[in-house]
Amino acid sequence: MAQPYPYTYYSCDCYDAKTTAGAAKRASAQLQAEDEDERTFDPRNPRSNFSLYPLEHLLYCEDCQQIRCPRCVIEEVLNWFCPSCLFEVPSSLVKSDGNRCTRNCYNCPICTSPMTVSSLDDPTNPSESGGPWILACPYCHWSTAETGIEFEKHTGITQQLSKVANGGKPIPTPKEREKERERRKELENRKSRDILSGSEDSPTQDQRRGDASPNLDDIYLNLAAFYKTQLVAQAPSNLFSPHDINFSSPSSYSRIMNLYSSTTSKKQRQKKAAPMREAALELEGLMIHDPSSDAAAIERIKKEGWGSTLSPAQKRAQPNPNIRFDTELRPVASLLMTKRGKRCRSCRHILSKPESKITSTRYKIKLLALQHIPRLSLRALTPTPPPGAPAATPFDYNALRSGIPAHFILHVSNPIFDPIRVTLATSSTTPGKVASRVTILCPQFEVGANTDVWDDALSSSLTPVKRASMLGPDGMPQIEAGKIWDRGRNWTSVVIEVVPGFLKDPLKKEDEELGEDEDVLEIPVFVRLEFESDVSAEDRGLGDSLGKKGERERREEAFWTVIGVGKIAPM
Amino acid sequence: MASGLGGERKVSASLSRSVRGTTPRLQDLAATPESPRTPLLRSTSSLFGSPGGSFRTEDEYVVLELGSRFVRGGFPGESAPRCTLPFGPDEQRRVGDYRQWDPEHGQTRRKRKRGQDWGQEYELYRMDLTDLDLGLVEDRFERTMREAYSKYFLLDQKPRRILLALPPRMPHALMSTMLEVLFSSFQAPSITLLSSPVLSTVGAGLRSALVVDIGWAETTVTGVCEYREVQEGRTIRAGKMLSEEMARLLNTALEDELDVGAPKPEVSFEEADEVITRVGWCKSKPKSNRNTLYFPARTSPILEEFEDAVESPEPSITIPFPKNDPPIDLVIPFAQLAKPAETALFAPDTALNEFDDNELPLHHLIYRVLLALPMDVRRFCMSRIVITGGVSNMPGLKARILAELDALVQQRGWDPVRSYGSASARHEALLRQKRESEELRREEAGDKVSESLDSDNSPAPLSAGLQETEIDQIDIKLSHLAIRNGPPPTCSVGGTIRGVDSLGAWAGASLVAQLRIKGIVEIEREKFLQYGLQGASREKEISVVPQRQSMGPGVGRGAGERASWTLGVWA
Repeated sequence: MAQPYPYTYYSCDCYDAKTTAGAAKRASAQLQAEDEDERTFDPRNPRSNFSLYPLEHLLYCEDCQQIRCPRCVIEEVLNWFCPSCLFEVPSSLVKSDGNRCTRNCYNCPICTSPMTVSSLDDPTNPSESGGPWILACPYCHWSTAETGIEFEKHTGITQQLSKVANGGKPIPTPKEREKERERRKELENRKSRDILSGSEDSPTQDQRRGDASPNLDDIYLNLAAFYKTQLVAQAPSNLFSPHDINFSSPSSYSRIMNLYSSTTSKKQRQKKAAPMREAALELEGLMIHDPSSDAAAIERIKKEGWGSTLSPAQKRAQPNPNIRFDTELRPVASLLMTKRGKRCRSCRHILSKPESKITSTRYKIKLLALQHIPRLSLRALTPTPPPGAPAATPFDYNALRSGIPAHFILHVSNPIFDPIRVTLATSSTTPGKVASRVTILCPQFEVGANTDVWDDALSSSLTPVKRASMLGPDGMPQIEAGKIWDRGRNWTSVVIEVVPGFLKDPLKKEDEELGEDEDVLEIPVFVRLEFESDVSAEDRGLGDSLGKKGERERREEAFWTVIGVGKIAPM
Repeated sequence: MASGLGGERKVSASLSRSVRGTTPRLQDLAATPESPRTPLLRSTSSLFGSPGGSFRTEDEYVVLELGSRFVRGGFPGESAPRCTLPFGPDEQRRVGDYRQWDPEHGQTRRKRKRGQDWGQEYELYRMDLTDLDLGLVEDRFERTMREAYSKYFLLDQKPRRILLALPPRMPHALMSTMLEVLFSSFQAPSITLLSSPVLSTVGAGLRSALVVDIGWAETTVTGVCEYREVQEGRTIRAGKMLSEEMARLLNTALEDELDVGAPKPEVSFEEADEVITRVGWCKSKPKSNRNTLYFPARTSPILEEFEDAVESPEPSITIPFPKNDPPIDLVIPFAQLAKPAETALFAPDTALNEFDDNELPLHHLIYRVLLALPMDVRRFCMSRIVITGGVSNMPGLKARILAELDALVQQRGWDPVRSYGSASARHEALLRQKRESEELRREEAGDKVSESLDSDNSPAPLSAGLQETEIDQIDIKLSHLAIRNGPPPTCSVGGTIRGVDSLGAWAGASLVAQLRIKGIVEIEREKFLQYGLQGASREKEISVVPQRQSMGPGVGRGAGERASWTLGVWA
C-alpha cells in the first residue's frame, strides 16, 4: 500500500443500499442479497476497493445521517478553470472551445509536465520580436521544434498552434475547408457531367496522392457534410418527421401549405425522394483502404525502432489517439478543472460547496464525515523503555512476524458532542489467503463527548486509568481482557491482539506465490455506535407528533472499517 | 439469417430510418418568405404537444463507445473522443492508494493473479458471465465513467442523453448493469443504443459493409446491409490471443538473452501490450512457401519487398525491458515481431479442418460470412470491407486480410461446397462443360442476341447474367440521367474485394448524434428504472415505419415518448 501502515479505511455501504438495485439485478442478485446483512466485510474482495475510503475523503449527510462517499453524491460544476494558469473559463467557452485551456498552458506529450514558451532567438543577432518561439518541456527537453512547429508570438499559442500542422504546414480553418470542399465538389460534378459515363475515380485518386493523406478531422468533416446534404435531399419524408411537430417549426408551416395546395405539387415533391446513397468520393468521406501508408509505417518502425514509437499512455493523451510516431505528437493543452458542489444523492442536500473564487481554497459548506464519525487509529503497543535506557527501535509495520502475537492499541476518538457507546466486532480470523487471528480485548466501551477542552480540565468525572501501577514483569504494561486500555476527554483506546498468519501454509507443499498485497494484514472491524443526541431542528419540523422540543433521541450508526496493520514478513 | 424477402423489408425500414431524424431543413426556410411563429401562450391540447415540446429534442448528447478494454467518450460533432479510458488494475485501487505513482512500483513487474486469465484484469467484462462479478463490473464502470464525466466532459447540470455504442451481442445482465450505472449515477434522461458495426459503417460513409471488428476477446465479422446487421460470424482470434502470442515470443527471446541461472522471465500483460502497439506489425503478403498455388500477381510492388528482399544485416529492434530483473534491452529480429499476428490471426500452419468453430482464422471467417450472405448483399459487402477494432491499427494487417481473402475467393469462388468427395471429378467435368458451353454461347450471343432469347425450346437457356445486354436508347438516356442526378457510379461498386477505411464506431456514433438521427433502441430513464430490461417490448421493429405513417401530421407524440421501446438487435 502506498498508504503508510497502519491505516484505516471506512466503508461506504452505498453499493448495496442503492435504491435502484432492485430493477436490474432482480434476478441475479437475489440469492446473494439474502445473507447480505450477515456477511462479514471482506477487504480482499475486489469490490471492496470501490467502497473503501480514507475518512478524509468522506462526507456526511446530516439529514440522512449517513456517510456519503464520492459514489453517492451528485456533483454539480460551479465553475471551470485552468489548473495551470488559474484563469476562470466561462461555461459558454467550455461549450465552444472544449475542455482544454486556450491560453498558453500546454503539457508535454512525452512526460506530461507543463511546457514553457521559450525563445529560439539568436542572442548575437536578436530579432525585434524576440521570436521565433517554441514550447519546450523543462523536464524531458522535448520541444515543438522537434515536430517542426515554431511560433511567431509568445502569446496566443493555442490559436497559432491550431493553424500549423506538424512540420510547419498551415492547417486550413474550417471555413476554408468548407470552401475547398465546395470547390472540389463543383469540379467533380463538372467532370462527371463531361464524361457522363465510366467516370472512374482516378481524378480523386490523383488528387489524393498529391495532398498528404487527409487527417481524421478532414474525413470527419467531409462525412458530416455529406450526410447533411443527403439528409437535406430527403425532402418530403421530413414533413411528417416526429421531431418537427411543433407550431414554431417552419416545416409544419410548409406541411400545412402542402395539405392545401394542389395535389400535383405534392406528387412532385414525393417523387424527389431518392434513397440516401453512400459516400462515393473522398470529398464525401469515403476512404478506400490504401496499403501504402501501412507499408510506410512498417518501414519506419524497421528503420527507427522502438524509440520513435509512442507508448499507449502517450497516445491516449493525444487529441488524435490514432497516431503512431513521435513526429506526430502535438503538445497537449492542459485539461480544465472544475470546482464542484456536492449534493447527497438521496435527499439532494448540499454536502459541500467551495467558494467560487478560483484561488480560494475555502468552502462555504462542508459536511465532513470527520466531524461525525469517530476516528479509529491503530498503533503498536511497544514497551515503554525504562527511563534512562536507549529508546527502543520503532515498531516495523512492514515486517510483522508470523505466529508471534503482537499487541496494538486501537484508539477511538469521538468528534461529536455527545458521549457514544462503541461496540466493535471482527471475525476471529482475517479473511484472505493468510489468515491471522485477531482478538479485540475490550469490544464494548464508551467514549466521552467532544466537549470544550476546558470542560475536561474543569470536570473530574473521568479519572484516567492508572497505568503505571500495572506494569508487568517484563516492562510491558499489564493487559487485561474486558478493560479499556486508556481514556481521555473524547477518546478511548483498547487493545487488539493479533497473531499474524503464515504466508506459506506449512502443511501444503506446493509453493504458490502470493499475489500483490496478499501479505498485508488487514482487519475488518464492524463499528456500531449508540448515542443520544438532540433531535435536529428539521426532524422536529417533520414529525412534531414524535417529540417535543428539547427532547433527545437515541441514535445508532454502524459501518465497516478496515484497519491495515502492516505487512507480514516472509519467514 | 436474412432471407431475400426479409432483407428487402429491412432495407425499406432502414431507408426510412435514415431519413427520419433530420434537422429542420434549410430549403423549407427558404420556401417560406417569413418563417411562421408560434403565438405565445396558446393553449394546446396534449395531443398536439406543447410548443415548447421540441426543446426536448434539442437535448444534447454524450457519445460513449463501450468496449471490453476501453471506453471512449465525447461529444457529437467531434471527430475524436474526448477521452479513451482503459480498464486496468491501476483503475481498481482504493481511493488514497497512490502506489502507481511510486517510482519503485513502476519498475516492478506485475504478476498475474492466481486463477486469472491473461489480461483479465484489463478487461471490463467478458461475454461469458459464469464467473464474472457483475457487481465488480458495475463498480469499475461507474468509476471510469465518473472520471470521464468529472475530468473530461466537465458538463453543467443539464442532463444529457447518452448515445451508447455497444457490440450487437451483449448479455442482458451485462447490458442492464451498464445501463443502470448510466441512468442512476449519471442521470441520463434517455439512452440510445446503437450497434457498433452499424456505426462503423456510418463512420466509413457507407450503407452496406462487411465490418470486421478485431476486438479484444473476439473478432466479429458482421455483414451490414443498409444499416442492418444481416449476418454475423465470430472467432476468438483477436487481441487477446495476439497478446498472449506476443508474450510467448518475448518470453522465449528473453530466455535466450538472459543467463542460465536467471529466473524464468514472464512478461507482464502491459509489456506485451506495449510491444504490440508500438512495434508489432503484420506481413502484408502471405508467405509464398505455403500450399498456396493461388497468389495472383495483383499486389502492388511495395508488398513484394517484404517477401523477397532478404536484408543483410537482418533488421532488428531493440526493446527495453526496465521491469525485467535485471533490466534488459532485448534485441529481436524485426521479422520476428510479425510472427504473433501471423499465428494468432491467420494460423497458416494449421489445416482448416483442425479448427474449432470458434477459432477460425480471420480470412476464413470473413469468407464464410460472405458466403452465407445473399448474393446481392454479398456483392455489396465484399467490396466494402471495413476493418476496425483495436488490433486493426497494426500496420500491414488490413492489407494482409484483404490479400488473404482475395486469394481465398480466387481459389474457391463462391461455391459453398468445399469438397465434392467422390463426385469431385464429375463436378469438375460439369463445371468445365458448363464453362465451355457458356463460352460458346457467348460467342454465339455476340452474333445474334435476339435469337437466343426467342428460342424458348433450347434445352438450357443462357443464364441471364451471361447474356449480352441489349443496347437500348432509352436505357442509355436513363443512365445518363442517372449519372447526372443519381448517385455516382462508385456507389454501386461491387463484386471485387475492396477495403474501406472507417473512422470507427465512436466517430460514427458522433456523426449519428450530430445529425440527430434517432436510434431504434431508445431507453427512457423512468421506464428503465421501473421495469429494467424486462420492460422492452418483444417486437424488434416497433418504432420506425408504422409509427411514422400512422401518426399523420397532427399527432404530436414526440419520438421521445414512445409508448413502448424495444431492444432491437439486442433483444
